[in-house]
Amino acid sequence: MEKRTIVAVLVFAIVAVFFFFSIFLIHPFGKPGQVNMDDHIIANTQNETGTNNGVTSVVFDYRGFDTLGEATILFSAVAGVLMIFRRVKQ
Amino acid sequence: MGMEFLIANILVLILTVVASLVAVLLRDLLAAAVAMAAMSLLLSLEFFILQAPDVAIAEAGVGACLSTAIVIIAIKGTKRTEDE
Amino acid sequence: MSGMSKIVKTSVNILFPLTMIFGLYVIAHGHLTPGGGFQGGAIVASGCAMIVVAYGSKWVFKQIKEKRLSSFESIGGVGFITVALLGLVFSSVFFGNFLAGSNLLFGTTPATGSTGADFNTGGVLPLMNFAVGVKVIAGLFVIVLVMAYASSVKEWDT
Repeated sequence: MEKRTIVAVLVFAIVAVFFFFSIFLIHPFGKPGQVNMDDHIIANTQNETGTNNGVTSVVFDYRGFDTLGEATILFSAVAGVLMIFRRVKQ
Repeated sequence: MGMEFLIANILVLILTVVASLVAVLLRDLLAAAVAMAAMSLLLSLEFFILQAPDVAIAEAGVGACLSTAIVIIAIKGTKRTEDE
Repeated sequence: MSGMSKIVKTSVNILFPLTMIFGLYVIAHGHLTPGGGFQGGAIVASGCAMIVVAYGSKWVFKQIKEKRLSSFESIGGVGFITVALLGLVFSSVFFGNFLAGSNLLFGTTPATGSTGADFNTGGVLPLMNFAVGVKVIAGLFVIVLVMAYASSVKEWDT
């Protein structure tokens, strides 16, 4: 067997063992660990943002900078694609 | 969570793993792209079962339609079968 | 891709308006129902990719240029940041929701608890949904269109 293959199998086995044991350490489904911010958002989203949809109020209001980063990623992706496939004028 | 919820959850997850294995193992790249689209659609169904309809809509739109279109365009520009 | 058969074109002619209506509904009702700007924009861009597959990218390229789509994408991004900066001006916080509870445009505050859907709520969230929707529609569609056109022509220098 090649040396590279042995190293790859070892790294894969170690990462797989870590992932397998991390299954038993996560909290049960539907029971979050920290509930303070969740309770605040669920209780106050209709007063503070005037929205019935809590997810949109989190995405666009409470975590607006996250959406701004997502918009930046999309803008740079479009700029890169248009730069690669641009039409070259001779 | 009820029993039928658990059964549907496990069934959809097993089908997702099967579809991704098919996408890895196929030699025909066009069929592999279609299998990847099926995997993405099953993943969006799993998100919907886990009560996240926002993520389900985004996954169905981007993963099952647009990324498949981009992959098929790339296959059309190169070769259809995988070299051995 | 120089167009497919008549059956595919007729099917796309029937399916394309339905996809458009569903995507624009998801964008417009982003503050009431699941979805929002990104999800609705992805649905509308999927419908436009369907047009590209059925009619061929050369036909679509005659209808609309990629520079126009790119400027639509920039307009969406500038509108998003402009609404955020208006929040900085009027409520002294970047991304501040200055329209909520002001009884102006989208200014009604819903009653707390499980209430019926009122379209005139949400403050700046519908405006941001609209800006992000325009941005995502133009961005994803221009990516698919330019890649399809570049793979369909032999010499990419016309």
